[in-house]
Amino acid sequence: MMHESAIFWLRVATVLYSIGLIHAILVLVKRKTVLFRYAQPAFTAAALFHFVSIVETTMAVGRLPVDNFFEAVSLCALLISGAYLILFWRYHFASLSLFIFPLVFLMSQLGAMETPVASWPNSGVRDAWLFAHVATVLLGYVGLLVTALASIFYLVQERQLKSKRPERFFDRLPPLATLDNLITNSMTFGFVFITIGVIAGSAWAFIESGTSWIADPKIAISLFTWVFCLLMVFLRASAGLRGRKAALMAITVLGCSALTWAAHVGLRSLILR
Amino acid sequence: MKFTVTGLSHKTAPVEVRERLAFDAEVLPVALRSLTARPGLLEAMILSTCNRVEISLASEESADPELAVDEFFSSTNVDPAQFRPYVYHYIGADAIRHLFRVASSLDSMVVGEPQILGQFKAAYALAREHGAASGFLETVITRAFSVAKRVRTETEIGSSAVSVSFAAVELAREIFGSLKDRAIMIIGAGKMSEAAARHLARNGVTRILVTNRTEERALEMARLFNGAVVPYTDYLTSLHEVDIVITSSGAPHYVLTREQVKRALDKRRNRPVFLIDIGVPRNIEPAVNQLENAFLYDIDDLRGVVERNVENRKQVALEAERIVEEEAARMMERLKIRAVAPTILNLQEQLETVRAGEIARARGRLGTLTKEQEEAIEQITRGIINKIAHGPISELRRNAAQADGVHVISTIRRIFRLGDE
Repeated sequence: MMHESAIFWLRVATVLYSIGLIHAILVLVKRKTVLFRYAQPAFTAAALFHFVSIVETTMAVGRLPVDNFFEAVSLCALLISGAYLILFWRYHFASLSLFIFPLVFLMSQLGAMETPVASWPNSGVRDAWLFAHVATVLLGYVGLLVTALASIFYLVQERQLKSKRPERFFDRLPPLATLDNLITNSMTFGFVFITIGVIAGSAWAFIESGTSWIADPKIAISLFTWVFCLLMVFLRASAGLRGRKAALMAITVLGCSALTWAAHVGLRSLILR
Repeated sequence: MKFTVTGLSHKTAPVEVRERLAFDAEVLPVALRSLTARPGLLEAMILSTCNRVEISLASEESADPELAVDEFFSSTNVDPAQFRPYVYHYIGADAIRHLFRVASSLDSMVVGEPQILGQFKAAYALAREHGAASGFLETVITRAFSVAKRVRTETEIGSSAVSVSFAAVELAREIFGSLKDRAIMIIGAGKMSEAAARHLARNGVTRILVTNRTEERALEMARLFNGAVVPYTDYLTSLHEVDIVITSSGAPHYVLTREQVKRALDKRRNRPVFLIDIGVPRNIEPAVNQLENAFLYDIDDLRGVVERNVENRKQVALEAERIVEEEAARMMERLKIRAVAPTILNLQEQLETVRAGEIARARGRLGTLTKEQEEAIEQITRGIINKIAHGPISELRRNAAQADGVHVISTIRRIFRLGDE
């Protein structure tokens, strides 16, 4: 079990990490990197608090805290942030932050959920919260669906241009650049809403059922989908992922989302309860 | 009223003849005035482009517009023997169909090209401005505009590029959408690359880099497009900055290899690049087209696109001909209905004159009448002439659009003693 002050430091770290998440979203939506000036030091400070938290727990239990999922995920997040900080210091690999910041934030958020802190003030708040989670995730799925469709059209249009025998169908597809814009925008939209949805969902589950939910496979699928989505967004923003690979990736992410959705069908009974 | 189109076009006359008869914009008003001043010619429009010189005329039935145009052409100091063999003369329905085909760009050298409609509109505007086109020509020519519009919206006649340069622009649009603010690089400043660059510049490309083995030629072309010169030894360093590359170099080896393009693509984070290779032998390694996000078209590929478009236009043209045919028939119907209008009017006037005359003659014998009685007489007599007129009028209207409509008109005019039109 984590020590009480260790949990506190981890929560402080999570709050600081969240600045990194906001930075990543700002870069994707507004193409602005102004927040990086603050997000980078905040991330360093967060890593320090994170380190303090783990050291405290280690001292309290007398060994490295990897007893359960929460402790393991927290330690893993610290290792990732440490690796990132070294890469940043050595190679100034700033674009990696787009991937690392959101990932570490979510991992530390999960890690900080070991001890339940609150209960629902009333069932109205509980239901509204759950509804917000479902609504944001569904909006995110819409974004991913559009991304996948636009990626397929991109692929078709690309093939047509490459074949050098443009057919009549070709005239009716939008230009590659237009499709490319649509992909970028819908992907960003999807990612932002799924991120909000995942944060809202994990917080809801945490308050609803303490720590038992984490072993649920549907949570694992959700988190996997989100990480995959993050990877896709990152690859596109940093390496300009386009064409066949991008289309395959978009379709895979959409497939994962469909699985996640299927796994969550059980939630309906919770809402109706 | 007689409607004719007389003239010659690229289909009938060689360019030496066309250029002699072509009218300069300055002399057109004088020409129009001299045409409409001729006896029997009521309205005129002159369409003079590098591919055709045509005169549309609305004249009285008694006039001979073919002769008038012959005299008119002869008065422009061109030997009649030189143009007479090439002149065509369309009358009535044929003239209308011809005018519709011309406006719809079906009679153009490059079928479907859009300029002709603009030239047509300008010719009509000029004729109107100088009072040479009013009622009749207005009806026919404004209809020709709508037919052209219908052809354009209902068929895909103008939707594909039929020149190599234009095909390059169309393909660039398929890739980039708008070409505004795109950058291009020209490697090898030849005539063909200049033509392609001009088309692209006209469509919004703003940044143009030119590189050439001899720098003077590069400078010359860069000045032409407000572009910049890149040293021939150094063009690879700016390759990743441009979206479109045009090569037409005489170099015996590839000026761009797969590896070089791959590096540029990595640098531009895979944003697509369009490579147009108009050099013979080819300047770009064909394997470049295998790279994702690189689109390579050589001169044969572009010609292939053009050929398919031309083939496609031929098929579409058949569809367009059907529309023109249908519209021409409809126009003729309308004109014929218009033609019976004076006869109907004359008939009604004639009957009214008889009625009014008979009432005036009988009025004295009837003595004093009350207001009601006066009205009753009016009503009865009007009823009688309307009933009499009903048969002939509906017969006129029904037969107007038929082939023997003219006979019906003349018969009715004769029976009712309506005199000549």
